[in-house]
Amino acid sequence: MAANHPPTAVALSAIQAQTVLAAQAGDAEAREVLARSCQRAAFHFALHLTGHRDDALELSQDAMLRFFGSLGRFDASRPVRPWLLRIVRNLARDRSRRMRIRRVEPLDSDDGGPIVEPVDSSPTPEQMAHRSEMQRRLWSAVLELKPRHREVIALRDYLDLSYDEISEILRVPRGTVMSRLHRARSALRAALQPALRKEVGA
Amino acid sequence: MSTNCPTSFDQTMLSGYIDDELTQGEEQRVRLHLEDCESCRQMYLELTTIRETAMSTRFENPHDEQWDESPRGGISLFTRGLGWTMAVIWLASVAAFGLWHAATGPESLVEKLLIFGGITAAALLFVSVLIDRIRVSRTDRYREVKK
Repeated sequence: MAANHPPTAVALSAIQAQTVLAAQAGDAEAREVLARSCQRAAFHFALHLTGHRDDALELSQDAMLRFFGSLGRFDASRPVRPWLLRIVRNLARDRSRRMRIRRVEPLDSDDGGPIVEPVDSSPTPEQMAHRSEMQRRLWSAVLELKPRHREVIALRDYLDLSYDEISEILRVPRGTVMSRLHRARSALRAALQPALRKEVGA
Repeated sequence: MSTNCPTSFDQTMLSGYIDDELTQGEEQRVRLHLEDCESCRQMYLELTTIRETAMSTRFENPHDEQWDESPRGGISLFTRGLGWTMAVIWLASVAAFGLWHAATGPESLVEKLLIFGGITAAALLFVSVLIDRIRVSRTDRYREVKK
């Protein structure tokens, strides 16, 4: 019965707590590990909140600086991601209040190619192109959502956080997370018709 | 797009069902409802497709060297803080001088009322913002998170 099971959530959180404690003690390697494990989530969340790649990078870099600046006061028994994403959200809200976040624009990489890439292994190029088109449409629809709907979609459907984690980040009850998420998904559903209906074969 | 469920079923539960965030009883109730309700089943399938599409999306990440570039911050944060401090000191000085001048100077009653009114309004606004900030900081579980 000695199967190779993946680490459980408890084990993972214990490893993370050890990393945080080492980073708090000034271990440069632990700080590097912590940064590498979190910065992508910070960038992706910032990308959803700002809609701009450069703004997202700047926001997430700033969040990482503040994250490490306040790491000494962080309770290592708590999960890191909600804490960091809360910093990202605070920064984004603070900036949007001051400068009214620019209207979002379609995302393109520097060389003009699409930034949204399909990763599923669809067997045919047509299916891959179709999936890619759906992802692009969905992303455009997400950027048109109200900010509070956009952030909950980002946290759940793109970053795969649990309702409890989202509840911590947004400081709203769990039930509100579910209802807000449902409203956001319903708005996306309406925006993606009739393609979505065709997709599920109704 | 059929969205209207003919029953009193709470469609919000569909999102909890998709995310596996319901209690066992709630989950069973949703499952039984989906067997009978075509409009909710359609909604469930479409919402599931939205989630799967989002989950399968990958974004181009910044290169490592981009992460290592220093963001704007440091000096600009310091100058902003210094600027705000100086502005508050300046405003407080001007308000104090205005009050003193209005109290001891030869201005008419209307002029004095305008000065007192303006300064009082600014002070009330400041106090209201301060009270809100204090209230939020006391109830915020993440109050130690920098803003």
